[in-house]
Amino acid sequence: MAFIPSRIKKHDTNPGKVRLNLTSMMDMFTIILVFLLKTYSTQGLLIHPSDKLTLPSSSIEKSPEVGLDLIVSKKSIAVNHEEVEQVSDILNHDGLIIDELLNKLQIYAREAKRMEEQYGTKFSGKVTIQADKEIPYKLLIKVMATCGQAEYPNMRLVVYKKEG
Amino acid sequence: MAFKPSERSSRTAEDVELNMTPVMNLMVVLIPLLLSSAVFVKIGVIDLNLPPAVGANVSQLEAPKESEKKLDLAVSITDNGFYISSSIEIVRTADRSTPSIPLANDGSLNYSALSEKLYEIKQKALDQFPDVDRIVIQAEPDIHYQVLVNTMDAAREITIDSQKFVLFPEVSLAAGVIF
Repeated sequence: MAFIPSRIKKHDTNPGKVRLNLTSMMDMFTIILVFLLKTYSTQGLLIHPSDKLTLPSSSIEKSPEVGLDLIVSKKSIAVNHEEVEQVSDILNHDGLIIDELLNKLQIYAREAKRMEEQYGTKFSGKVTIQADKEIPYKLLIKVMATCGQAEYPNMRLVVYKKEG
Repeated sequence: MAFKPSERSSRTAEDVELNMTPVMNLMVVLIPLLLSSAVFVKIGVIDLNLPPAVGANVSQLEAPKESEKKLDLAVSITDNGFYISSSIEIVRTADRSTPSIPLANDGSLNYSALSEKLYEIKQKALDQFPDVDRIVIQAEPDIHYQVLVNTMDAAREITIDSQKFVLFPEVSLAAGVIF
């Protein structure tokens, strides 16, 4: 026979407020916070790599600087995200200078020089070349020769930094 | 008269808990902020240097004047391996057609051997020439850009016994005779 629960004793029917145990979550958040603070860079991304190409990776430590954006993907060449010429046309063409690109760069150079006269922003002739890792050497050389012709002699190649 | 405390076992003190809510609020705001501004791919740039003599043509690069006494180190990338040439030695095997650094056993270009060879040259040239930081790299027309970047990496520095030595950081590219 089962006992009848006592009516006199107070049974703890209301266990009070249920509390979440937040300690483990706090631990996790603290670790994530420290990690994110460590990877935080005040500089931000100066160069936005185009999604049409894969940059090569390199062990270099040097950080990027701002310059005229020149994108060489497997299909086309673009200056400041504005398509200029198809790669297949360039490879079929023999000379070292790419005429369309030269014209475009000269327009930008003229503009930059005008800015230098009017507002005093120095024209440094810097150009950053973002090129796909699979483009052939001859294409790169043609692009670089054209940049040199168009008063942009300070060329930089954009790469991914290798980790480790 | 004061009351005597009850002799029934009194309740033990409840656990004191910190109030975590403000800290949680802080975390919830900070973490999305930092996540959105985090940069996961690191981008670097390789500076290119114009060749020492602007407008120098190929014949000048290949046959330097004796009086100038420059190192004029050059590496050519081909499908068969690397060819290295400089004014102190033309690094070639006896047969002219075989490259100075042939392919590795698995058929890929041997970057570590190139680094070691350049390290040797750097040691020999260190006090003799004014242009010990400079190297000219040229390649066959269809060499991929990644291969070129790897070669630049190999020519820039070498790690021996976990110590880094700078080799030839000032890279110029040459169009060579291929056009």
